[in-house]
Amino acid sequence: MSGLAAKRGPLSRALLQMREDLWLQGVAISTLTVALAIMGVYLVVAFNLHQSLIRMLGGPSLTVVLSAQASPQRGHELAADLAKLPAVKSARYVDRAEALERFRSQLGPHRRLLDDLQDNPLPDTVEVVLAPGVQPNPELKTQMQSRLDVAEVLASRPWLHRLEQAANTAGDLALALGILLFLGVVLMVSNTVRLAVHARRDHLELMTLVGATRGYMRRPFLVEAVLQGLIAAALASLLVWALSLVLSAPSKLPLGLQLQQLVTYPRLLPLVLAGLAVLAGLMGGFLGVGRTLRLRGSW
Amino acid sequence: MIKLEAVSKIYPGRREAALQEVSLAVAPGEFVYLTGPSGAGKTTLLRLLYGAELASEGRVLVGGTDISRLPPRKLPSLRRRLGVVFQEFRLLPKQSVFENVALSLRVAGLKGPTLLQRVEEVLEQVKLSELSQVAAGTLSGGEQQRVALARALAPGPALILADEPTGNLDPDNALMIMRLLVGDYVGGATVLVATHDPTLLSLVRGARVIHLNQGRLEQLT
Repeated sequence: MSGLAAKRGPLSRALLQMREDLWLQGVAISTLTVALAIMGVYLVVAFNLHQSLIRMLGGPSLTVVLSAQASPQRGHELAADLAKLPAVKSARYVDRAEALERFRSQLGPHRRLLDDLQDNPLPDTVEVVLAPGVQPNPELKTQMQSRLDVAEVLASRPWLHRLEQAANTAGDLALALGILLFLGVVLMVSNTVRLAVHARRDHLELMTLVGATRGYMRRPFLVEAVLQGLIAAALASLLVWALSLVLSAPSKLPLGLQLQQLVTYPRLLPLVLAGLAVLAGLMGGFLGVGRTLRLRGSW
Repeated sequence: MIKLEAVSKIYPGRREAALQEVSLAVAPGEFVYLTGPSGAGKTTLLRLLYGAELASEGRVLVGGTDISRLPPRKLPSLRRRLGVVFQEFRLLPKQSVFENVALSLRVAGLKGPTLLQRVEEVLEQVKLSELSQVAAGTLSGGEQQRVALARALAPGPALILADEPTGNLDPDNALMIMRLLVGDYVGGATVLVATHDPTLLSLVRGARVIHLNQGRLEQLT
């Protein structure tokens, strides 16, 4: 008799019962994979929106246009001067050549459109990023406008602050939706576990008759739910990765924009999905077994 | 060991009581036959004793514990002190004889060499050592009942409850099972055997016979 036969912890019991019903495992894992893939897509979308928002909010709020006669040295001095204002987080001098190059790169494949330009029509500017929570109000603009060699002060993106407010509200809604999605996964695991318990009710009834506790019977189901969750998380991560590859393939969008600039696959997604799957497995397993196991009466 | 005080059991949705005011006492180490026709209440009485059902009235005491008031979470520890044998064997057909017998020991927390040794001992007692790695579902009826008996005996229970243990067996196998339920094999445990087969009653000398009819205790010998 092998020594292994005498050892039967929750893991080996879970693996044994998984092996006994491969069809049920297939159904459970594929269902969970779909649920976790939906969760993964949701997380990728949320992650990318968040990243885009950070990029947008991190950009300049005000653009200070310098007069044509201002020298580059004056531009640097002005940037340093504006950066000292309490309402300003940072200020950077951007000369017309850099501005044109930036515009050229934004045009992507259409960059040749600019080749016919005789002169650079863009002005020298100082790009100002405001401190968090500061709005580009008229007093601030007047204060900057009064500086030497300033031709004009433009609010780069007047909609930015409304977007920030909307993003905060959307963040709360996104969290609520994420929790709902997760609860859906938990419910799915719970129902899968109930199916597994139902399929093994003869075995479990026998175990209750020889004195097995609820905990003893529950543990392999929890381990099984966690293992199924981990396998499903790996498969879902692969699915979402494949989807993000398809979406980020070189594509022609207006202004040379590419989806790969907008869609990034978060490296931590497999870990996050695995963590959520373990949590869902434990919660769903606990719920599923708890609602089904009986110590008294008929099964 | 067992004490029933005016125990009645009425199943939900049934007018007639499965057991009506049954009172009896069984001493430690005693061998008792529980007889009566089908539907007399034998199985109900056994189910009350291993806590699968709750009495509608009266008290059921096993080893001094009042099962009628035992919360479900305390049932497992009671059941580990019992060995239950069923007419339909109730084995795990895909698992080996060894695993079936080991089940009652594993739930009690036994593992390693102690578990191996105990399973081998019990399989030796029921003459199934050579079949220990065979799937239980492939065995004959008599062999399967011996596996079920080995599973019940393995933890060394103080009380063995057998519900028609020979009901599905031929006379030779029935005789073998009954022999395994007495003497050294059960280690001095109290044994309660429910049967409707009068031929079994002569097999155990000095055994007490309790007769049930329509849920009432009719005769004690």
